[in-house]
Amino acid sequence: MYFLSKTQVIVAVGAVLLALYVLDLVRRRRLSEEYSFLWVVATVGVAVLGFSTPLLVGLTRMLGVVMEVSTVFAIGIAFSLVVLLYLSVRLSRLGAEKDALVRDLALLRHEFESERRAMAERGAR
Amino acid sequence: MTAPRVLVIVPAHDEEESLPRTLAEVRAAAPAVDVLVVDDGSADGTSRVAREAGVQVVRHTVNLGVGGALQTGFCWACDHGYDIGVQLDADGQHDPRWLAALLAPVAEGRCNVSIGSRYVSRTGYRAPLGRRLGMLLFSGLVRLALGQRITDTTSGFRAYDRAVMDVCRRDFPKDFPDAPLLIGLARRGFRLLEVPVEMRERVAGRSFYTLGKQLYYPYKNLLASLMALIQRQS
Repeated sequence: MYFLSKTQVIVAVGAVLLALYVLDLVRRRRLSEEYSFLWVVATVGVAVLGFSTPLLVGLTRMLGVVMEVSTVFAIGIAFSLVVLLYLSVRLSRLGAEKDALVRDLALLRHEFESERRAMAERGAR
Repeated sequence: MTAPRVLVIVPAHDEEESLPRTLAEVRAAAPAVDVLVVDDGSADGTSRVAREAGVQVVRHTVNLGVGGALQTGFCWACDHGYDIGVQLDADGQHDPRWLAALLAPVAEGRCNVSIGSRYVSRTGYRAPLGRRLGMLLFSGLVRLALGQRITDTTSGFRAYDRAVMDVCRRDFPKDFPDAPLLIGLARRGFRLLEVPVEMRERVAGRSFYTLGKQLYYPYKNLLASLMALIQRQS
């Protein structure tokens, strides 16, 4: 195993550590399996490229990138964008779900209070 | 034919000051109609003053925006068997004396939605320039989409029949129910009609249009309008 630069080592080791941290978050139930998926795919992908120099060089040539390290960073940035978009979509859905809940709660509370008032009036009679 | 059951829906966010007067005016102008105030997460006594006025009150825990409040009103109206829902601002801009004029075309089945418009005939209202330009844009967009001229797409003084409320309780554009709503409704085959009304300056309270929203709103409304044109309507 050989490395092209110090940066490559740092990135590769960093990716492994991040992957472990993500898995640990899942273990401690701080992160749901659903959200961990993108992270695991990305960190494992970067780690594989980082530790396998021939693969990294090959991919870099194929994409026409000058520096191998740039390939790794490009993948990192692309991944960040995917995660951000995914989170925006999830946020939109959560917002819609929140609205529906607030609405149902408001309507149910109104019904409950009307019912209680009606019961109190019946009781008073 | 029995008279249709009418519910006036008043979305209210921090409208403690202007609400009592608006509700009293509604009562004076149309004693037969029921009123529902949707307190959209107010921090002030909006719910309290509404209850004191003897109307029904549904309160959101957090603020959902005008569209969200209106949608809650539609749900309530449908659940309680109302035939027509009227949207009326709490801030006193909409004069309840025009309720009858607004209701008539819907009650007579001439349209599904009637829109109280400031511009159909010469009335007192004159909007600021920026707003006028925006109105022109969205009016043009709606016209392009529907082949029908709606001069006042932002008017929040409207009456909706049961069929429209049934659709809107399920699917409704968030925040500002303006041009995107009208386009969506027209694409579903509902008939819209503009009715000339007079509008007034706000009595009290803050407008929903803050500076940030003034920039963001045209963008969002434009996008939502374009989407309403191409989205599949359920």
